[in-house]
Amino acid sequence: MALVHARGLTKSYGPVRALDGATFEIGDGITGLLGSNGAGKSTTLRIFMGLTDPDAGTAEVLGQDTRRSPEYRARVGYAPEHDCLPRTVSAAEFLAYMGEVSGLPRTAARLRASDVLRHVGLFEERYRPMGTYSTGMKQRVKLAQALVHDPLVAFLDEPTAGLDPLGRREMLELIRRVGREFGISIVISTHLMGDVERTCDAVVVLDAGRVLRAGAVSGLTDETEAVLVDVADGMEALAQALARRGLDARVDGSRLLLEQVSGTDYDMLRDAIVESGALLYRLAPERHTLADVFASPRTGDRDSSLDAP
Amino acid sequence: MSQAPATIFDLGYQPYDGARTGRWARRAAIWRDGIRISLGLGRGTGAKIAPWLLLTLALVPMLVLVVISAVMSEAQAAAEDFELPSYADYYEFAMVPLALFAAVVAPLLLCPDRRDGVLALYGARPITPADYVGARWLAFFTVAACAAWLPEAVLFTWNALDARSPGSWLTDHWEIPPRFLVAGAMVAALTTTLSLFAASFTTRRAYASVGTLAVLFIGSAVGGIAENDFSGRVADAVSLVALPQALTEAVHWVFGDETRDRPFDGAVYAGWVAVLTAALALGLLRQTRSLVRG
Repeated sequence: MALVHARGLTKSYGPVRALDGATFEIGDGITGLLGSNGAGKSTTLRIFMGLTDPDAGTAEVLGQDTRRSPEYRARVGYAPEHDCLPRTVSAAEFLAYMGEVSGLPRTAARLRASDVLRHVGLFEERYRPMGTYSTGMKQRVKLAQALVHDPLVAFLDEPTAGLDPLGRREMLELIRRVGREFGISIVISTHLMGDVERTCDAVVVLDAGRVLRAGAVSGLTDETEAVLVDVADGMEALAQALARRGLDARVDGSRLLLEQVSGTDYDMLRDAIVESGALLYRLAPERHTLADVFASPRTGDRDSSLDAP
Repeated sequence: MSQAPATIFDLGYQPYDGARTGRWARRAAIWRDGIRISLGLGRGTGAKIAPWLLLTLALVPMLVLVVISAVMSEAQAAAEDFELPSYADYYEFAMVPLALFAAVVAPLLLCPDRRDGVLALYGARPITPADYVGARWLAFFTVAACAAWLPEAVLFTWNALDARSPGSWLTDHWEIPPRFLVAGAMVAALTTTLSLFAASFTTRRAYASVGTLAVLFIGSAVGGIAENDFSGRVADAVSLVALPQALTEAVHWVFGDETRDRPFDGAVYAGWVAVLTAALALGLLRQTRSLVRG
């Protein structure tokens, strides 16, 4: 079931068009909103949270128009990209308060605040003023406040921004856990393809306010008919041996790429490797990367729907 | 006897299946938080100094006067020379600490939220910007109004106890509590709204405080000059920018005091205070809405 519907979303800030008729759906699981800076990711999330109204089009979250009642936000979490934590207040107090403002009774809010802080790894530091936290800890509190009221879906705007590689890996692991184990659907906006490939079930690729691609990540990174040959030594000899057999091999860095490979080609490839004496390191079907999605020409905007597995 | 080895149980994530509160409870949470900020509760010592000092300045003089009156009532002759202030007169005195309290403390309810980017999180909760700013306003108003009412309640109680027949005194003076409640609410509402309105334009509490005090004191000076050194309708109208004086006149009007030597009738001042408070509240709401929703 789709949790989020965007239909023809258009939004301009003065002469700058942030969104240009974006139409897509987001289902259960972890979905990445991928795009370069200025692609319209943050604007999309702000529209979903009712923080900005679209100039045209409609956005529905949990079946409710985001421009109407704010009630749907009782089951929606949001962590903005920018700093949003009061410096003088402790994480435990702040989360309990945010839980109450989100509609939890007082006692339940306090219990959940502690529980969620435990899950994000800040249980020991929960009574420290948040002004003393590191960037990684602040990102975790931002995630925790988005989860404290047990939402059905949480929108996280650039959750790995400002984190070092280790912090980034831990944050993505945490997001994956929230999506898989907590049963909370997650939408993360990011410009990092690696984050999406590593974490998400589905992706919506935005480019200049338009939907470039949308679908399951596995679908966009499907295997192709190309084969990747990684050899430790003797690459040139192998390329010549393949050429003699009529196979067109393209050198891609330290690897060889064979396009349009069919059944008998594999026998010839085997023979060529033996003949050239190359040290075979890896032989694998080539997969698309999300980088290819950006590199390939746009096929025109289209209505896109996706339901993550 | 051997002990069983310790075991750590990972309970995993527990979804929340309990009841969820409605919009009023969410507003009440923001209101409670606002009260705590206003009084510095749950904050460091530094956060408590300004509110409690200024509240003490508004409350203690009345307590001292009542104690002096009680002591002097023992000596009949001295008691005749000592007179407690009227309800309206005490508001006149308390106006300064109350205005200072609003100017210095009220911005704490808005400026840090804006400076730290917390407004985006309020915007993402199941409340509207009006719920947020309304609850914040009501929180500070509650504290300011209580600070205004408490000395009056002390004075009223003492007057009742000091009367020869407290029962008949209360029957004769039943209209005083509603009057001091309305007058105190008027003072608290204007000072609260003015200070929060100023705070909605800046992330710096100091700027908001200075702005509020500038409006009060410079307005007072300009209004005083217009009233004393000029004549005519324009000068009379300009004299209304002296907000402390306008409030004082409105308070006297609420208590039914005789017409004082002022350009306008007391009702005009009360109306002006009400209109100004409403206009500032509208401006505060619009400003907050634009800040939250961007």
